[in-house]
Amino acid sequence: MAYHDDLLRHAVFLSELDLPEAPKQVDLRRAVSAAYYALFHLLTVEAAQNWRRERQRSRFARMFDHGRMKTCSSKVASRPLPRDPAENAPATLLKLVAESFVNLQHARHTADYDNAYAWSRTDVWDLILDAEDAIKAWMGIRETTMAQDYLIDGRSITIRVVHQILCTLRSVNSSGFIFSCSRRRQSSFT
Amino acid sequence: MAHLPRGVAQPAELIKRLNGLVFTPEYGVVKWRHTVDDDWSGDPAIFFWITLSDAAADRNVLSRTTRRIKDFIIKQIDPAGEWDLIPYFHFRSQSEQEKLKDKVFG
Repeated sequence: MAYHDDLLRHAVFLSELDLPEAPKQVDLRRAVSAAYYALFHLLTVEAAQNWRRERQRSRFARMFDHGRMKTCSSKVASRPLPRDPAENAPATLLKLVAESFVNLQHARHTADYDNAYAWSRTDVWDLILDAEDAIKAWMGIRETTMAQDYLIDGRSITIRVVHQILCTLRSVNSSGFIFSCSRRRQSSFT
Repeated sequence: MAHLPRGVAQPAELIKRLNGLVFTPEYGVVKWRHTVDDDWSGDPAIFFWITLSDAAADRNVLSRTTRRIKDFIIKQIDPAGEWDLIPYFHFRSQSEQEKLKDKVFG
């Protein structure tokens, strides 16, 4: 089972502890965090699939920045949907993914840092459902150009990630390397 | 010059629009409030604190309930597009709120 599926199952497991009694806040907070990281890791792993050298993919996936991913997602979430019917359907699903990412990240921060807020199971189950819906939506559009562009946002994530990759790999291999990816997805890196 | 979100620059207009939100009984909304504040990243945001009837918050229908409410609010208000505010939603059931007594939910 994929890591994001395990994280979602873990979130559900934590949210159901002590049922039908009142939940412990610690369980609900960790459930929120697991739901966010399910979506986060899915997206970073998906982006890493574009990296041709398999053994470097996990390192690539670690280079994604939560803040920049949120900025990119906020932009996608607030963008009006295209009128072209061919683009409207995938754009609607991508918007759902982006909205969920923003919502889950904020919830994760609240769960981890705001001890004054009391979580309820309803709140947490809604967030888990949000993550599940976003993952399902992603699976339906993952190969589309707009989804791939979202993964490697042209202006925010790319520059930083490419810079980090260049620095990291140059330090690993002084003889240099060829920056390459599959021809199909090459535009994502430019 | 820093850009002031419309929802912050024109609070009265925003409140007027929000006051126009009417949830018919099938939405299962018992009570709702909103607050405008920055989110954890410092971006301007609007938070919706929504108390649901226990029936609407039932786990078997929760997904449909919350999706309908979110879609309704976004369609009516368009917080991000029209007011430059990122919308965030928090839900709880009436019986949960009776125990937790969280002031932000009203």
